[in-house]
Amino acid sequence: MAKRVRGYVKLQIPAGKATPAPPIGPALGQHGVAIMDFCKQYNERTQSMAGQIVPVLITVFEDRSFSFVTKTPPAADLLRRAAGAEKGSGRPNADRAGRVTAAQVREIAETKMRDLNAVDIAGAIKQIEGTARSMGIDVVA
Amino acid sequence: MTTGTSAGRWLELSVICDTEAVEPVAELFARHGYNQGVAIEEPFTQDPDGDHFAVDPSRPVVVRTFLNAADVVPETIAEIRQGLWHLGQLRAVGDLVISEREEEDWANAWKAHYSVHRVGRRVLVKAPWHDYEPQPGEIVLELDPGMAFGTGLHPSTQLSLMALEDNLAAGDRVLDVGIGSGILATAAALLGASAVDGVDIEPVAVRSARENAERNGVGAIVRVAQGSVGDGAPFPGEYDLVVANIIARILIELAPGLTAAARPGGVLILGGIIDIKEDAVCDAFDAQGLTLERREEREDWVALVLRKPEP
Repeated sequence: MAKRVRGYVKLQIPAGKATPAPPIGPALGQHGVAIMDFCKQYNERTQSMAGQIVPVLITVFEDRSFSFVTKTPPAADLLRRAAGAEKGSGRPNADRAGRVTAAQVREIAETKMRDLNAVDIAGAIKQIEGTARSMGIDVVA
Repeated sequence: MTTGTSAGRWLELSVICDTEAVEPVAELFARHGYNQGVAIEEPFTQDPDGDHFAVDPSRPVVVRTFLNAADVVPETIAEIRQGLWHLGQLRAVGDLVISEREEEDWANAWKAHYSVHRVGRRVLVKAPWHDYEPQPGEIVLELDPGMAFGTGLHPSTQLSLMALEDNLAAGDRVLDVGIGSGILATAAALLGASAVDGVDIEPVAVRSARENAERNGVGAIVRVAQGSVGDGAPFPGEYDLVVANIIARILIELAPGLTAAARPGGVLILGGIIDIKEDAVCDAFDAQGLTLERREEREDWVALVLRKPEP
């Protein structure tokens, strides 16, 4: 297979709820991807994870065929759940959105490890802490 | 099928930011975006034939979300702007760009890319939703475009198919290595092959190739298995014709296995070769003792027809 890539898009969408509406329609439509085919397969693969955001990486090849892999939920989503916060802070350098424990950060880092470009767990923890900071979530002992 | 919303206008919000800022920007967008959806486009690099694909973390990323214009109140945009401004104090975050988009029939618009198209000289490919009355001598292959590579829109598939048309004799036994969507294997069966075996290392391709062979009524002729050629090959026999539409690096790796799969006097069709790697592929197969019979090119792709000498 001569698979030159024409498009590479990561979509963050709720598990089991892919539809041709935005952002999927515009993101994949411009590459000529069989959108209903994608939605059906994504929904089948993620239906057991309802309520979570399940990111998906879609590779579109030059002949408009595609492949995709699902990823672990975004760190921001996992942090928000762990903190019991409805959303991140709109002003992360001023207002606090909530707090998580170092143990929770470690757990999230372990979950996310396979999708992060971190060499070890300490590096992964650093990345998760960085995301927490950007959301106004404090990490406590 | 509608696109699931009240028809109308959409606002597309996008921001360019560095890799580190993607998560928090996406989180902010997801709070307001339709269906919590966010699209992230990371720049990538690849060889001219798609080999060595990799994300390029040194270049900025585009993060997008969409709001249904009917749902948007001025406070929404203000809140997003404020959120981005605060993130911008911590990370490199560009300006918010807002553009309007009309509702489109996204569920169906992509189908326009798949009209009935001629892939070989005699073989045409059509999608299931098209009706087409074949002219005398034409062979129409129905293909459901989807996941596995090989929709017939790629020059390497077209070159491989033309070489099949020219070299396949009725009753030939054919091996398709890297079967993808099954387009070449199915075409070989429709062109008169008595048996077509196909392999692919990707399970999605194996499934899709089987479905497409069955869709065209040649499910009994086309056998598909996961695997390759060489050691552990699922189909270890010798074939009158072997076709492989794969990138140059893999063709070179598989040269001994592909050669062994052809009977003495048999033909090897190699597609998927980017022009700059043609010489390397020729060298690899020359070393196997094969003779070059023909080469065809289209855009920057090359297909080679080789013959295995009789002993």
